[in-house]
Amino acid sequence: MAADSVTQYFEALAERGHEPLLRSASGTIRFDVRSGGRVAQWYVTIKKGDLSVAREGDAADTVVRVDAAEFESLTKGRVNAQTAVLRGELAVEGDLGLVMSFQRLFPSPPKSVYARRIK
Amino acid sequence: MSSDLVQILEGNTFVVSDRNGDIDASPVDATGLFSFDTRFLAKWVLTIDGERLNALSTDDLNYYETRFFLVPGTGTVYIDAKLSVIRQRVVGRGFSERLTILNHDDKPVSLEVRLEAGSDFADLFEVKDQLKKKGTYYHRAERGRLVLGYKREGFDRETWISASEPAKIDPEGLAFKVKVEPHGEWTTDLEVVAASIAAVELMATRAKRKRPSLARGLDKWLAQAPSLQSSSDSLRATYHRSLVDLAALRFETMTLPGRSIPAAGLPWFMTLFGRDSIFTSLQSLPFTPELAASTLQALGERQGTRVDDFRDEDPGRILHEMRFGEMTAFEERPHSPYYGCVDATPLFVVLLDEYERWTGDTRLVRDLEFEARAALNWIDEYANLQGNGYIAYKRRNEKTGLENQCWKDSWDSISYRDGRLPGFPRATCELQGYAYDAKVRAARLARLVWKDPAFADRLEAEAADLKRRFNDDFWVEDGEYFAIALDVDGSRVDALTSNNGHLLWSGIVEKSKAKAVAGHLLGERLFSGWGVRTMAEGEGRYNPIGYHVGTVWPYDNSFIAWGLRRYGFKDEAARVAAGILDAADFFAGRLPEAFGGYPREMTRYPVQYPTACSPQAWSTGAPLLLLRAMLGLEPIGDHLIVDPALPASIDHLELLDIPGRWGRIDAFGRGRIDTGKN
Repeated sequence: MAADSVTQYFEALAERGHEPLLRSASGTIRFDVRSGGRVAQWYVTIKKGDLSVAREGDAADTVVRVDAAEFESLTKGRVNAQTAVLRGELAVEGDLGLVMSFQRLFPSPPKSVYARRIK
Repeated sequence: MSSDLVQILEGNTFVVSDRNGDIDASPVDATGLFSFDTRFLAKWVLTIDGERLNALSTDDLNYYETRFFLVPGTGTVYIDAKLSVIRQRVVGRGFSERLTILNHDDKPVSLEVRLEAGSDFADLFEVKDQLKKKGTYYHRAERGRLVLGYKREGFDRETWISASEPAKIDPEGLAFKVKVEPHGEWTTDLEVVAASIAAVELMATRAKRKRPSLARGLDKWLAQAPSLQSSSDSLRATYHRSLVDLAALRFETMTLPGRSIPAAGLPWFMTLFGRDSIFTSLQSLPFTPELAASTLQALGERQGTRVDDFRDEDPGRILHEMRFGEMTAFEERPHSPYYGCVDATPLFVVLLDEYERWTGDTRLVRDLEFEARAALNWIDEYANLQGNGYIAYKRRNEKTGLENQCWKDSWDSISYRDGRLPGFPRATCELQGYAYDAKVRAARLARLVWKDPAFADRLEAEAADLKRRFNDDFWVEDGEYFAIALDVDGSRVDALTSNNGHLLWSGIVEKSKAKAVAGHLLGERLFSGWGVRTMAEGEGRYNPIGYHVGTVWPYDNSFIAWGLRRYGFKDEAARVAAGILDAADFFAGRLPEAFGGYPREMTRYPVQYPTACSPQAWSTGAPLLLLRAMLGLEPIGDHLIVDPALPASIDHLELLDIPGRWGRIDAFGRGRIDTGKN
């Protein structure tokens, strides 16, 4: 189930604590994840790389609206966030730069093979 | 770009029109209103009583603003103008156009004024490659405006067109019934907005940050740069041109609002490029150091984090090019962003150190420690594709990725003397120089700022080892220069090329070999009299008008001059500088990307290589770096060393108020070096 996968993703994200890739970012992103006619909200707050996740919150700097299945694809590396925004699959309202920073945490595409790795 | 076209721009939004201000694009030509790599307007034609107008003059007020003076009637022998028409156009989020019609007669006139409008929403890549669209077009008239739209799945782009005067709106444009009193005038303000629905705020947030005054921005930019005084009119003009063009080449990224980054070229390359933005920042450091700071930050924020074959991305790798158009959106092109570039990553570290040496801004060095370490790690962990410790490249995206990922990126640029092309992965020589320099410089930063002496020791040991091996492995014994690359099997790809100059700049060349290298750079086979050719005359693939196999690149030469200075070849650096600056004079101070490698005494003027973009950022930066090289500007601790070695053609030169960690310092020099042989 995509919805379960979304929950798992945010729970794991909350465990990450500090994320050096987001050191230059600060702000709150609200994810509105649609699944079966319901919308689950997740607030991700970044303070110079310190991450926290909540189910409730006040005003967000950015609101991202996305289907659960699409979001699962993003978090598994099957879909690229930047092109998803350009295609309109990921609706972003507010500070797009924050989302562009956040998406760096998504994993590599599963089909990418690393050609050679020699030390 | 054809010289009878007019272009104005602001950031990555630009308008290219004919001398009348009209846009009447075919699918493959370059006119239109472009924003975020999409053409939002392909037709914009003004008629009065059904007739197109005739240009009297065009006034390029500024890089973002132009004015067209027009009269009715086209191409007739003489013009009996009872009317004149002025279109004043300013680029912003799209463009605004003030249309004014003046009646010079003592009778009133009634006119049918029409603006024909249309769009094809072509991706920049489609304009270049003539590709067919896959989505559908629509249009509608609403609330006093004409909306032109294009939709492909969720990708939706719109152009909104409105006017301050009442207009009759139809799907193909706006029409005005106008009456102008005797000696009176009529005016309307037209607004064309490059809007978007899907990438929602991408464009809207940008528009909200409208600058108070673009003109004031330019004045301030010029006032903050060092002022140059010289007996050479040509040098003064070139310097001014460079600063103005550099201002035009600035743009903002989403993540760094209010901070400007040099794009690669106007108008087609108004986007973030790793290599071009870094080289331009290096060239302009003594003049406009803020460009380096924002370039480092912007590139750091988009440093690779994943292993992505389609984008040729690896963790720690610095991006090559970023795009926002339809083909990027649907992953028909990999520019979201594309990482297929191998020099930008070590050069990122080089720029960080050079920036600190000039500005003393250790905070940024601390802020970017993570990124710098990731870049250094990339060199050893991900770029070692031949397994011999050298940086090499081989694309993983074989369909739309770049084959040559060094600056000489055309298919035939890397070859043996006899013209044979090597296989992949390829390890070109300058990459090893950049890697060496990155390690040496990072060691300094590790001691000074990151407080990690063990890391510094390790980097220095690695750099020393790299230098030793490189000087053996790449040295072409019978020619006394460095091979352009190592082939897959370790063979030296032995053509003689300008890359030797970059090696001097990097410091990887052993002292005992430097004299021979400098001799080649200024020798007849490489030096044309205007500058150092990309490839030496006599090599199998040499062609004086071949893109990377014989033309002279001003950017290349500016780094060669810096490299010559680094090894103490002051006179040689002055000769290179004099040649390129002489050439600049033929282009009114705006150096092209490249010009022909013909001997100077043969053509007497530099033959321009036809390229689409002008100005090109690193050509714009070339005179700046040449000034640095001629004046021998070198930051040492909190001081700026000035050690001028000027060609005799510049009688005297003063560069005043050079910014840096010392505050502001002046540099003076007199021309003493006979470069007559040029």
